[in-house]
Amino acid sequence: MECAFEAQNLISISLRKIQSSRTQRGGIKLHKNLLVTYVLRNARQFYMNKNVSQAQRSPPYEDAAAVREKQEYLELMGSFTELADDFYCNFTGAESDSWHCGAHQHNGQLTEVQHQDASSCVLVSPNESDLMLSEACWSCADKSWELPVPNTQANQKTVLDLDTHVVTTVSNGYFHSDCCAQPRQPQGAQCHKKRKMDTSYFIVDPEFYLPDFVPVPFKRMRSDDDSHSDSDQLDNTNISNLISVLGSGGLSEFVSWQQTDLEQIFGTQTICLKHTLFTGSGWTRAIEAF
Amino acid sequence: MGEDTDAAPTLNHHGFLPDHNYVTDADIISTVEFNHTGELLATGDKGGRVVIFQREPESKTEPFSQGEYNVYSTFQSHEPEFDYLKSLEIEEKINKIRWLPQQNAAHFLLSTNDKTIKLWKVSERDKRPEGYNLKDEEGRIKDISTVTSLQVPVLKPMDLMVEVTPRRVFANAHTYHINSISVNSDYETYMSADDLRINLWNLDITDRSFNIVDIKPANMEDLTEVITAAEFHPHHCNLFVYSSSKGTLRLCDMREAALCDKHSKLFEEPEDPSARSFFSEIISSVSDVKFSHSGRYLLTRDYLTAKVWDLNMESKPLETYQVHDYLRSKLCSLYENDCIFDKFECAWNGADSVIMTGAYNNFFRMFDRNTKRDVTLEASRESSKPRAVLKPRRVCAAGGKRRKDDISVDSLDFTKKILHTAWHPTENIIAIAATNNLYIFQDKLNSEMH
Repeated sequence: MECAFEAQNLISISLRKIQSSRTQRGGIKLHKNLLVTYVLRNARQFYMNKNVSQAQRSPPYEDAAAVREKQEYLELMGSFTELADDFYCNFTGAESDSWHCGAHQHNGQLTEVQHQDASSCVLVSPNESDLMLSEACWSCADKSWELPVPNTQANQKTVLDLDTHVVTTVSNGYFHSDCCAQPRQPQGAQCHKKRKMDTSYFIVDPEFYLPDFVPVPFKRMRSDDDSHSDSDQLDNTNISNLISVLGSGGLSEFVSWQQTDLEQIFGTQTICLKHTLFTGSGWTRAIEAF
Repeated sequence: MGEDTDAAPTLNHHGFLPDHNYVTDADIISTVEFNHTGELLATGDKGGRVVIFQREPESKTEPFSQGEYNVYSTFQSHEPEFDYLKSLEIEEKINKIRWLPQQNAAHFLLSTNDKTIKLWKVSERDKRPEGYNLKDEEGRIKDISTVTSLQVPVLKPMDLMVEVTPRRVFANAHTYHINSISVNSDYETYMSADDLRINLWNLDITDRSFNIVDIKPANMEDLTEVITAAEFHPHHCNLFVYSSSKGTLRLCDMREAALCDKHSKLFEEPEDPSARSFFSEIISSVSDVKFSHSGRYLLTRDYLTAKVWDLNMESKPLETYQVHDYLRSKLCSLYENDCIFDKFECAWNGADSVIMTGAYNNFFRMFDRNTKRDVTLEASRESSKPRAVLKPRRVCAAGGKRRKDDISVDSLDFTKKILHTAWHPTENIIAIAATNNLYIFQDKLNSEMH
């Protein structure tokens, strides 16, 4: 099998392909994108297996391995974040300078942001214009939030924090945390809000969004992949988690984008993000996911 | 076989400028198909045009000019469209052309792009009526007082005119991209296949079709494979086969159920675990499937091989032919430049004894199933002077021992790919589409099939 670097290379190439397929003439080619996700999955599996075997090595080697992992990871993150930026701007058609990329910095540096314990599911209803509902399992401790400049435009984006494995959505200039700190609705109401467990991926065609919203892709994180809460393993599983965002063979986003599965869009009143339980320290690195 | 193949004159297609390497995207040939007699050859291109070539009748006086193909008709089949509902541009590229068996003087063909199939009637007009009573030669109404006697209009010969008219448009039946069409042996129905569904049409009815295969999962996240090609059995009107991106073939019987989601036979070769790589799924995806003329065998093409399957043996192919195994070590770069997604087609000869498929560097390969010999030939202007015999080519490993005229793997031109080939139904004449050029080769020494 190819070496780890090639796996990383393949991952970034594959993501680029997926990105460029959205803008190519004739619509997204389902077949090609399916094959690309297989490559992504294979590269990810290889990477995970490699990391698992490294983690099992004896302690004296751990530091060197961990350092190398971190470096490789940062390299990879650099390319990912570029991709995510480009991708995201392309996707919405917005000018790139109108976006602020959440917690992500272009030079790939880490942004320290405090974070709450969370298992948050973000419920966004295209029918309710500016409501951000969360299944408030946020333990709303009074931690201070060092949030990067929030996006002040009436738009949304989805941010995946690779350390915390939490996918969050920024809407209308508010981070979801604002909902807890200054809830638009009483916390209780939020807690009782039923979350639709439809775990499909959706990208809603821009045409079908109300003017308040811009289209945003939502990703479901697979809970089976995100069972690691051990922070030691965070680095090792970050790639896997990013890839798990894409899902192994999860192509409904492409299909939705391509052919605007009307039944999916209209049949689902809310778009749901599934997330994982996190017990972690805070926002360290975040990457914009698709 | 094909080793001593005479080259019929190269036919240029759509204005390739010999002095420049510039190729218009719209001129790239995207499909090639002989009709059932081999008299006509149709090509479709990325610009939505169809060009039909007709074979000249044989002439005893000039034996070498017999069998040449000349342009018969050209027409615009599909135009670019925009789907406003989905904000999608629909490419006009012709994905497939299939001829209908000829039943009268006119010829009919089906052409399809990603979304719409059209039935075209190709007819000749070589006579016109003359001698009308009420109109003069220019068509003006005559002054009735000048008409003193009645005449019967007669048909006089005129210059041959080929008319192509659209007779049916089969639209709005496919959500995904159409990859195949296939006419049934009953001559009444045909099917169209996209990534996830196959529809059955009646040639006379355009406003509805029957869905006979649907592999779309309830949850798109569970999608693991797509349909890549489909074809009706040449003789049994109830049987058809479709291939998948996972390398499987499914033979379906329409008599079993209205929805043929359950296959009658599943042809699958177990994967070799030692050959596993990042790209295993990509290279096992079947890009083309063709029934043999006899209907006994299936020919499939995946990225590196061509396989012949016996309809009676589902567990593994009967024969496997390595088309360009030297690419196996280059899959990573082929993935980067997207060449790994190229969909090569394959073809049988009329006797089902030889199979043919394309490769890179304008090479195409033929495999004789009986003698187990194979040959690599090149379709290029330099090597294809009229009447020249094509020279077999050889690809050697990089740094390996090179003979004269060998080409190294690293020197292959991956932009020159032969994706579309066709074999005359009864004679040893082949049509090779090399980007925007069409080459027609004839085996004069072995014109009869054996």
